[in-house]
Amino acid sequence: MSTNSTAPSRARKIVKAALISLPMLLLSALMLSGGTSGEREMMQIIPVAVTFLFANALFFLMIYTGKTDKYRSLFFIVMAFCFILTFTTNLLERRGSLALTPEDMATGKTPFCHIVIPMTVIPAALTQTIIFPGSILGGFANISSMFVLWIGATLALGRGFCSWGCFFGGLDEFFSRLRKRRIIKDVDPRWTYLPYAVLLGVVLTAAASLTPTYCEWLCPYKAVTEFAAVTSVKTLIQTVIFISLFIALVIVLPLLMKRRAQCGLFCPFGAFQAFLNKVCAFEVKVNGEVCKEKCRLCTQECPSFSLSRESISNGGTRLSCMLCGKCVDICPHKAAGYHVKGTPVAARAGAARMLFIYPAYLFLVTFGGGMISGAIYRVLLLATTGSIFRA
Amino acid sequence: MLQGFILGLSGGAACAVYCAPVLVPYLLGEAGGVRRSGSAVALFLAGRLAGYLLFATAAWAAGAILLGSGKLPLIAGPAYVVLAVLLAIYGAGKPRSRCAAGSSSSIGRRLGGVPWLLPLVLGFLTGLNLCPPFLTALVAAGEAPTLGGSLLFFLMFFVGTSLYVLPAALLGAAGRFPKLQLIGRLAACVMALYYFYAGILRCAAGIEQVIST
Repeated sequence: MSTNSTAPSRARKIVKAALISLPMLLLSALMLSGGTSGEREMMQIIPVAVTFLFANALFFLMIYTGKTDKYRSLFFIVMAFCFILTFTTNLLERRGSLALTPEDMATGKTPFCHIVIPMTVIPAALTQTIIFPGSILGGFANISSMFVLWIGATLALGRGFCSWGCFFGGLDEFFSRLRKRRIIKDVDPRWTYLPYAVLLGVVLTAAASLTPTYCEWLCPYKAVTEFAAVTSVKTLIQTVIFISLFIALVIVLPLLMKRRAQCGLFCPFGAFQAFLNKVCAFEVKVNGEVCKEKCRLCTQECPSFSLSRESISNGGTRLSCMLCGKCVDICPHKAAGYHVKGTPVAARAGAARMLFIYPAYLFLVTFGGGMISGAIYRVLLLATTGSIFRA
Repeated sequence: MLQGFILGLSGGAACAVYCAPVLVPYLLGEAGGVRRSGSAVALFLAGRLAGYLLFATAAWAAGAILLGSGKLPLIAGPAYVVLAVLLAIYGAGKPRSRCAAGSSSSIGRRLGGVPWLLPLVLGFLTGLNLCPPFLTALVAAGEAPTLGGSLLFFLMFFVGTSLYVLPAALLGAAGRFPKLQLIGRLAACVMALYYFYAGILRCAAGIEQVIST
């Protein structure tokens, strides 16, 4: 009897999830195809089709199971690794080397990265120039296209950018999920203010030196993307710093803490985005009437250290929340949920979640889809021609 | 005289931006309100003036030789390293009356015991900063016919640039927020690392220059 009653209910749930996923299916097809219907080679069609299926299967599961972070993180991690592959192969193809030379910088061949954005504000106001050796319009990852993407994503997602758009974040997220048990259980809350200090430091030094100091001295991701060619003691020191920070912040600490150490304890861009959470319409709220503050599961699991007893008693997260949805997924009392600012907390949590994950996931697919299909293309190229580079 | 003041006014924003990495974390890290911050800024500026006048004397005595010899990094480099050490001690030290973390060194305790000393020393070391307007002033002062003329030039340059630094006193209002104070202290540690690198690199460049000449 019970199997007969659950079968139609499951079928109804599948149909409902499929209907809700349908607009994403169409939108992602449009975004991944680039809006063109022209003839393409099979080598180009296969990567896009695989990415399309992967993205939509995850979105369907997100709707069907009601779990957000579980499926977001999978896409996010795959995106990060695919980004490294596509980025490095693109650079090798265009420039012939991952190492940046002064000539590359002088000719604006450095791809622009969103982490530089906070450092550009004061120098742009003082000198009317962008302190980055990239290209303003043309070329690969130019400055204006990254600014446009960032502004759009920030207005829609706030610091959600760090969980739904940052192509580096998936790396420390991956390492934070590898171990079952955490070794470092408690982190002094004072460390969570370090990203703001790093932000203050890099913004002021960038203004003083008119160079992107974070990129020059502190960016751990230089270790896996591009770096200045080691031609002097200075560049040698810089390279040692990049590799050390990458190992410590992106691999070791996330493994030991099971949290996103680089994003939560160091990244100045994350700190900058945290302030911009104020302009975003969405937030995560914790319903105090439902949460009894007994399990504290969310405070222990939050990847960005954004939940504390104090923040829960205030009804939500700290400013640094990345809207990843982990607390929403794991709360046994269903006390945590996405919320549209200005609406009652307990009202229509499911609708608020849907309003958030639609633009967030579409942004993730649009931004990351190209990276994933690009990486699949490179793998296909390697399998069919024996070389990862185009002829 | 007027030339020094105008040069200070025209390049003052850049000077303020050069001082900000040292001054802003310090002012945020202190709890004391606008009045106390005002005194700290005044002491910082007094220290900076002392640094300027020292350079003015050197510029007048050496003329353009000081600039041409490539030895300037040998002055700025060690100054940066000392600045880095002081910022690190300040950042890791105990904020006035609040934080649980204690000052571990006797230098830290001494600095805490003489509250006027640190902004004065920071100002002096920042005064030895080789920012572009400062270098321009250095060349102009080096051409002054007398020591008095060189000192007066730098004094007026200092007055012109200080107008841009004075509003920093308003940061004292942030002292009411312990979290901002913590961020200021942590930022001082970050800046210490930056100035340490910068100091070591300048020292290396200076030594290289001396060896090659």
